[in-house]
Amino acid sequence: MASGETVLQIEGLTKVYRSIFTPAGVKAVDDLNLLVRRGETYSIVGPNGSGKTTTLKILLGLIFPTAGTASIFGKGIADLSVREQIGFLPEDAYLYDVFNGEELLNFYAGLFGFSKKRRRELTDELLSLVGMQANRKIPFRECSKGMRQRLALAQALVNDPELLILDEPTSGLDPAGRHQMTRLILELKRRGKTILLCSHFLAEVEEVCDRVGIMYRGRLVAEGTLTELAGAPTEIVITTSGLGADTAKELAGHAAVLGVEDGTVRMGHESEGDIWSVLEEIHRVGGTILEVSRPRPSLQDVFVRAIRQDTTEEAE
Amino acid sequence: MTPQLAFLIGLFIVIVALVLTRKQWAPAVLHAVPSIWRIAKITVAEARRRRVIQAVVILVVLILISMTFFSYLSPQEQSRMLISGGLAAVTVFGILLAIFVAAFLIPQELENRTVYAILAKPVRRFEFVLGKYVGALIILAVIVVTMTVVLVGVLLLQDKLVQDLPDSAFDPNIGGVVFAAVMSYFAIAVLTALIVLISTVASTTMTIISAFIIWAVGSLQSTISDLAAHAELPVTKALLTIVYIVVPKLENFDFRHEVSNFMPVSYMAAWNPLLQGIGYVAVVMILASVFFNDRQV
Repeated sequence: MASGETVLQIEGLTKVYRSIFTPAGVKAVDDLNLLVRRGETYSIVGPNGSGKTTTLKILLGLIFPTAGTASIFGKGIADLSVREQIGFLPEDAYLYDVFNGEELLNFYAGLFGFSKKRRRELTDELLSLVGMQANRKIPFRECSKGMRQRLALAQALVNDPELLILDEPTSGLDPAGRHQMTRLILELKRRGKTILLCSHFLAEVEEVCDRVGIMYRGRLVAEGTLTELAGAPTEIVITTSGLGADTAKELAGHAAVLGVEDGTVRMGHESEGDIWSVLEEIHRVGGTILEVSRPRPSLQDVFVRAIRQDTTEEAE
Repeated sequence: MTPQLAFLIGLFIVIVALVLTRKQWAPAVLHAVPSIWRIAKITVAEARRRRVIQAVVILVVLILISMTFFSYLSPQEQSRMLISGGLAAVTVFGILLAIFVAAFLIPQELENRTVYAILAKPVRRFEFVLGKYVGALIILAVIVVTMTVVLVGVLLLQDKLVQDLPDSAFDPNIGGVVFAAVMSYFAIAVLTALIVLISTVASTTMTIISAFIIWAVGSLQSTISDLAAHAELPVTKALLTIVYIVVPKLENFDFRHEVSNFMPVSYMAAWNPLLQGIGYVAVVMILASVFFNDRQV
């Protein structure tokens, strides 16, 4: 993870949607504070309606905040020059569907004022990067979901942006498409891009992100690196085979063992000193030791825990 | 030089001088023009690909050609009917297409969310609105020109067919027809600007309904003026006066009656509606840009 210059800073960002039916308003984003540094891949995760997309739309100037500020590369988000350095991949890839990849990239590159020659070069480079070179003439509406998403990523890269904002980049993709998109994001990360990613595919987030912010009901309820969020391992897990019901019962009686289930022996993390005696005991009762591990909670566990904790605090 | 022409030239000089003397404006204008042009081009290309407009134009062309089948009329009646019917077709279909093209321009971008990828790039919202408007103007110009060319072709063909007949008095009045079609195009341009303005704040359905009402009211402005003059209730008078002032006077662009009846047309009479139209479009597009600028997309 990089710890350099601040690329994106959000302070006290709040968005309230008001209508005649909800005069008091609905808070989509509530006092959000967030900081992304250069070269970092930061992911905002959260359930639907947690305010992720609203936050991104505010950053892009598509909607306006009710309160708070946001700056990108030290400039306010209303500053047009900021958008010279941003690439945005919208959720569900909304591009003009009558045009093919080549035409679309030529158009989007034109919005940055590139010459015809440069536009042609960029189109070739980007189509090749996203693996669409062979399908460059297929109209967008005839492209598969995965191809559309890759073209949408290519349009986000036409200006070689320093900050990439990706909204649900793998949404609706099949496993192969998700894998391809994740590879592309990792490649962009390797090239030094700063990436702000919104997703609810936690496995993809775990694979690509340096830091994660968990949003729930418009608020950031937890934030940190995956290690920080997951915390220290809480258990030692011994995977075995050949344990019968009686021997499992016998093992469960050991002081350091928390439980035995389907050949998996769980020990408390603090019982590290007792591990050899437990292993010997397993061996003695005729079990075979397959693996000893100290698993960390997954992002899924962290996510559920954070949301549950927030809901409990609210109820109190 | 007429006062109207002097006004237009003066306006142009003032705008150029303002842009040149204010350094901070120059980059904005230099940036805006290419962006507006690119958005206009993609708008035109998209309309061309969708082929709906082509289908309507083909239909109108067929209608215009079918008008030549009224051979039982006298040559003069035939020419009157062809010019009057042809210009009506150009105007009515032009306006109908303007309504349906313009009403979908911005709402469709919002609905399909194609606007996200554009506004996330260094494109100002007013550039987007103006680009869409210019694109619509190009599409409608192509439509009106196509229909006018076909109408002129039909008139010339008919002229050739009847010229050998005894007592031939067929007058294709090509100059008048082209003039009336150009004026119809300007009416379409004014109406399109207004539709774009409405579409920045209203849904597509509301925009279409409003456009039809404006078209009807704009074509009856002299009647509205008379009604306002003779209204007894002050509220009615005030309302009618507001409608008269706010709604563009589309009937001022309508020279079909004069042209089809071979009445002398003073081309200078076009200046007033043209200048009013330019002013009206400028105000309306500024308002559309302001409204769209404040719109959450």
